[in-house]
Amino acid sequence: MRIMKRGLLTAFVALAMTGTAFTAPAHAEGKLTLSSSQDPGSWDPIDTFLVAWAAVSTNIFEGLTYRGPDMELVPGLAESWEELDEGKRIRFKLRQNVSFHNGEPFNAEAVKYTFDRLLGEEGAKGPQRSNYVAIESVEVIDDYTVDMKLSTPDPVLLTKLAGYGAMVVPPKYIEEKGEDFFNLNPVGTGPFKFVSYEPKVGIKLEAFQDYWGGAPKLSELDYRFITEPATAVAELQAGRVDIVIPPIIPIGMIPVIEADPNLEVVSVPGPTVDSLRFNTRDGITADPKVRKAIIMAVDRKTIVESILAGQGAEIATFQSALSFGHDEELAPLSYDPEAAKKLLEEAGVEPGASLQIDIRGNDATMNEVAQVVASYLQMVGLNATIKPYETNVLLNDIIPQGKTGAMFQQKWGGWTFDYDNTAYSMYHSGEKWNPYEKDETLDKLLESQRPLTDRAERERILKEIGAYVADRALELPLYNTNAIYGVSKRVKNFIAPPDNRLKLTDVTVE
Amino acid sequence: MAGFLVKRFLQAIFVVIAITLLVSFAIRLTGDPAVTMFQGGGSMTEDDLARIRAALGTDKPFFVQYFDFLKGIITLDFGRSFVGGTQVSTLIGNAVPATLMLAFVSMAISIVLSIPLGIMAATSRGKGLDQAIRIFSLIGLSFPNFWLATMLVLLFSITLGLLPPSGMGGIQSYIMPGATMAIILTATNVRLVRTTMLDTLQSQYVMVARAKGLSETKVLYKHALRNCAIPLVTYFGLQFGSLLGGIVVIERVFNWPGLGTLAFDAVGARDYPVLQAVITVLSLLIVGINLLVDIAYGLIDPRIRTE
Repeated sequence: MRIMKRGLLTAFVALAMTGTAFTAPAHAEGKLTLSSSQDPGSWDPIDTFLVAWAAVSTNIFEGLTYRGPDMELVPGLAESWEELDEGKRIRFKLRQNVSFHNGEPFNAEAVKYTFDRLLGEEGAKGPQRSNYVAIESVEVIDDYTVDMKLSTPDPVLLTKLAGYGAMVVPPKYIEEKGEDFFNLNPVGTGPFKFVSYEPKVGIKLEAFQDYWGGAPKLSELDYRFITEPATAVAELQAGRVDIVIPPIIPIGMIPVIEADPNLEVVSVPGPTVDSLRFNTRDGITADPKVRKAIIMAVDRKTIVESILAGQGAEIATFQSALSFGHDEELAPLSYDPEAAKKLLEEAGVEPGASLQIDIRGNDATMNEVAQVVASYLQMVGLNATIKPYETNVLLNDIIPQGKTGAMFQQKWGGWTFDYDNTAYSMYHSGEKWNPYEKDETLDKLLESQRPLTDRAERERILKEIGAYVADRALELPLYNTNAIYGVSKRVKNFIAPPDNRLKLTDVTVE
Repeated sequence: MAGFLVKRFLQAIFVVIAITLLVSFAIRLTGDPAVTMFQGGGSMTEDDLARIRAALGTDKPFFVQYFDFLKGIITLDFGRSFVGGTQVSTLIGNAVPATLMLAFVSMAISIVLSIPLGIMAATSRGKGLDQAIRIFSLIGLSFPNFWLATMLVLLFSITLGLLPPSGMGGIQSYIMPGATMAIILTATNVRLVRTTMLDTLQSQYVMVARAKGLSETKVLYKHALRNCAIPLVTYFGLQFGSLLGGIVVIERVFNWPGLGTLAFDAVGARDYPVLQAVITVLSLLIVGINLLVDIAYGLIDPRIRTE
């Protein structure tokens, strides 16, 4: 027994001693550690739709155009461009003396290769291709001039060239090393080059000294994949992570970060919007009067202020205020429960009528919001029940097959910040995200703006679409949520981008 | 013994096939990975989806997919992840050691703690020490493991700054996840050791040993403990299976790159090949451990060997 006790004691002491041996957080000079909520699995630009990919890859790859945190579209790998043939051809003048991380030169061939690959066999296996189908072909004019021929004008194309599938890739490298190798060992022209990738653990980058825009100020970037919100915040508090990239910090944890003298919360309006859409085909919500009554019955301002703790903004249409097509003038229906009751009475809805709200079960914020919505509806005499679904089931089956309750959650965050991206897919008849509505007027409006390169005219039509949808009350517009970053105060010059595409060229650490 | 092993081996194959068939079938009922790839947004057309399904191979009939997967088990080629296209065998190869190391550390801590504590409780039956151990084990049993994990992180990482809050690295990174699992395991194990020991201590050979004048340590550790071993080994072995299940949650909290994390992400992305491979590996592990437990009986108790 005595031996046993002594053994135990030694074990405890050993444990305690190892405990004291590793106190100092591992911060090298010029090294920034970031937490990202997901491992995209591949770093090839054409393989993924994940924002977690972009949070890393914006530092590795570049496109012909660039859009930074200020949301302005500026030259990237192309120095200038002009639209020819009524928008059906775009001529790009490319930047010279740019090289890939492996020393391969960037030129017109690389651009052609990039788009041939995206629109060819390799691109067909991934989701990115669908965004670039307007491109018919890319022609090399000379070493530093390319023409992009379009099958139809695409007004959002220049924005789309700034990210994801349009990132320019090195032809020789991919041909020599193969697609599989490229997935795990990315090479681009960006300010940081790839060092190592460990699946489910993280990816490390280092400064690319020959970057055409000047070498970045940091020497190393260390991205760690952390999926659990509490864990990401704990790592930030322990000083082992400098920036927590959204979407991960829950609203409830903001005070914890704010209370820490070494940390701050940086929050910017993001692209993500939430609405509760209506089943406009069956049941009581087939009547626009009822839908309007429901909108008026819910105090969205209070929801944003209390449940979202101000980390969001009310919306009138399904888009963020940063989105092209957003209308400052268009106000959402105001909160008026008395008028709502009257409308319901006019529509012949009996008090105590029931309806179902379908939401994503893992969306903590929406779970709370839906309960508040239900109690607001209770006050005007509607009995709402909430049905949480596993996200994949809701997206794969319930919404596209038109099996929803009277109301269902739609959440969307298109990085292009263009109303067309969401509006077309949600309101045009026959689209996957539009199970119920068949409206010729709306279809025509949606189709008419797609080929327009006249920005002012397109914006006018997008605003008209927004107003039309609001007037028909196709959804209960809720809010646009902020992108919430947790940042250590040792990080300087960090400008939080609304779209998670962090380019860390100018960031420094103390 | 050989006949016994063959029988158990055939049983194991049957179990693995039954489990994988069920899982492969069920996951396919809950959503299309091609749609999931678009993240609930994206203006994809049916054409786009068809192209992606063809590339993933999910357009083939279920049984064709399932037999491809079975073939893969034999050739040790589990295909590619739907997310990013990494070889599944690479992912599994990274995750298995991570999970097993954590599981062994937890088991080891728990066994090292529970055997002496259980014996102490048994020998001081009804006295203060026994009561104290029983109360502590009741408290340990009542902790949900994710809560315990969070509390440990708060205390040791944030307040005291002693241990890393997450990730797999040096020895220090094993302490909190290992301890979290171990505390909960120990709570049950202590009670089991105590009860088994109490039974054994009342048997006649213990009385004989004492009558011979052997020291109490010798009686306890040489005679009594060995006879307690069969129920304990059975229990610890079976526990290893549920431990692997419980580790999924702990891995997530501690951001541990093991099978649990892999499975969790795979379910979210409807990554069939990865999920099927994880389930296969986990069921093989559990079946294998049960087999080892059976073999261990023979080693502990010569009477079983001769049967």
